[in-house]
Amino acid sequence: MISTNSTGEPALRIENLDKYYGTFHALRGINLSVKRGEKIVVCGPSGSGKSTMIRCINRLEQHNGGRIEVLGTELNDDVGNIDEIRREVGMVFQHFNLFPHMTVLENCMISPMIVRKQPRAQAEATARLYLEKVRIPEQAMKYPSQLSGGQQQRVAIARALCMQPQIMLFDEPTSALDPEMVSEVLDVMVTLASEGMTMICVTHEMGFARRVADRMIFMDGGDIVEEASPDEFFTSSRNERTRQFLSQVLGH
Amino acid sequence: MVSLLRNQKVRNALLQVLYVGSIAAMVLAGIVIARRNLADQGITSGFDFLFKSTGWDVNFSLLPATANDPYWWYFLIGIINTLFLGSVGLILATIVGTIVGLARTSSNDLARLLGRTYVDIFRNIPLILQVFFWYAIITHLPTPRSAHEAWGFLLTSRGLYIPFPNVGSAAFAAATLAVIAAIVLPAWLGRTSRLAQPIGQRRTIQFAAAAAALACAAIILAIGRMPDTPLLDFPALQGLNLRGGLRIPPEFATLAIAIAIYGGSYIAEIVRGGFKAVGTGQVEAALSLGLSPWRVFTLVRLPLALRAMLPILANQYVWLMKATTMGIAVGFTDFFMIVALTINHSGQTLEAIGILMAGFLAINLSLAAVFNRINKAIALKGNQLRG
Repeated sequence: MISTNSTGEPALRIENLDKYYGTFHALRGINLSVKRGEKIVVCGPSGSGKSTMIRCINRLEQHNGGRIEVLGTELNDDVGNIDEIRREVGMVFQHFNLFPHMTVLENCMISPMIVRKQPRAQAEATARLYLEKVRIPEQAMKYPSQLSGGQQQRVAIARALCMQPQIMLFDEPTSALDPEMVSEVLDVMVTLASEGMTMICVTHEMGFARRVADRMIFMDGGDIVEEASPDEFFTSSRNERTRQFLSQVLGH
Repeated sequence: MVSLLRNQKVRNALLQVLYVGSIAAMVLAGIVIARRNLADQGITSGFDFLFKSTGWDVNFSLLPATANDPYWWYFLIGIINTLFLGSVGLILATIVGTIVGLARTSSNDLARLLGRTYVDIFRNIPLILQVFFWYAIITHLPTPRSAHEAWGFLLTSRGLYIPFPNVGSAAFAAATLAVIAAIVLPAWLGRTSRLAQPIGQRRTIQFAAAAAALACAAIILAIGRMPDTPLLDFPALQGLNLRGGLRIPPEFATLAIAIAIYGGSYIAEIVRGGFKAVGTGQVEAALSLGLSPWRVFTLVRLPLALRAMLPILANQYVWLMKATTMGIAVGFTDFFMIVALTINHSGQTLEAIGILMAGFLAINLSLAAVFNRINKAIALKGNQLRG
């Protein structure tokens, strides 16, 4: 069983993680440990393995070598372990991936009702609570495609939160949004961070990173190149590739 | 003049006039020629023949039929036979197609290979050859005396005999309607109450509706049961022949099988396409929420695939409905064969073919209309393709 108390055990421990796509070596022996309540921001150039890494954490990708331990449970071929981990790890995707044939409310209720066996009334109450939290309670009866991109992404965050996960993964949550909608999503994520959620975010929103990150991870070529506090990372990085990347991202 | 011809609007108008004019000319010429030919042969045109008795028999009918019945009654029999064969064929083809289509999208190599082989074989052999093939197999089954038997079912060259409830035909028809209602009603209720009651309550209502309809069916069967007979009538040998049960004639069985197998290969491809059209994003989101692969299938993949499939499926159904005209190849009295026999016996070629065309138009346009309704009802709401 996954323990819910926050004794010293880390939320996530990755050791020597290897991932291949055919012969392409996508992740090269990654090591990472995340404490409970810690907020990690992962950045790096496209193709550096950021998404692959966080998709390994809930087994959307199968790793080929090394060890992943989530909340004390090892992620391996054991289906029970996979289910257990997926229940406790929420994920938000770049393209929202809402279920287009269900209303916003149904999107939020379906998994708590089926996976957590919650009665309908309770699931609906929880769903409305989290829709309130992401500031779109009035959209509950609409269908996803009737909403703007920013609203859809906030629904996706609410949907993940309805499972009351202990860890949240964000895979470039604002990359597919029109610029004026980015901040409404980031605001929700900042609030979530301030409430102590364990978060691993792949994002290029450096302003957000500076505000909430406890630790910055810079990846390149399937490797973690640099790990540093945001202060250090943005102002005095010793790494050549990090500085080059930052100058490209922050250049304008 | 030249500059006028260069004007786009003038050009389009001229083309339209030319087009409509030539079609009108062709139709007119056809009518004139037909009238002259008919007059030469001494045939009177008109629909009076509909009320004369036919003088010949049909080998399969769901309604009472004798040689004294008028032509219009026979046409009705033909339409009902076609609808019956069509419905049975479409349902079977859908079942076959779904199984094969799922096999083709499966992650299992063997299932994929089998599915692909099936589609490649049955999609590429003309339907009429397949009809003859199944007819040859069925008519070479053993005679009633040495029939294959399993669970009260008898396979013979005279057809397939199945156990049948001992009820009157009216009661049986009513019970069938009730069973159909048990399937359609929950789906319909699911749609209309969708916004009002989220998931849980809706299920209860749907379940109650289905149960009520099935109870109706059971009551109808109990009331319509013939006095002092067992509930099920099993076929059995009496002398040289089989008595009891329900006989499915070889002609009907042949066509139903042929349409199921042939149509199934096309529907399999539609099913495969439908599942391919479901975004991997939605599937990944469902998995990341902890839903099991089976739940991901029933809650996300299937409902979304169905929406992608439906328009093409409707098209295929219309096509298969027309394939029932293969009845004439093996002597099943479908609508087309009744019309062909009518032409032979009455000589009213144009009228009979007119009725045939009108009948098929009515059947297929209704089918298309029903599917358009369903399609609109379950279409994804909203106007953005995002998500």
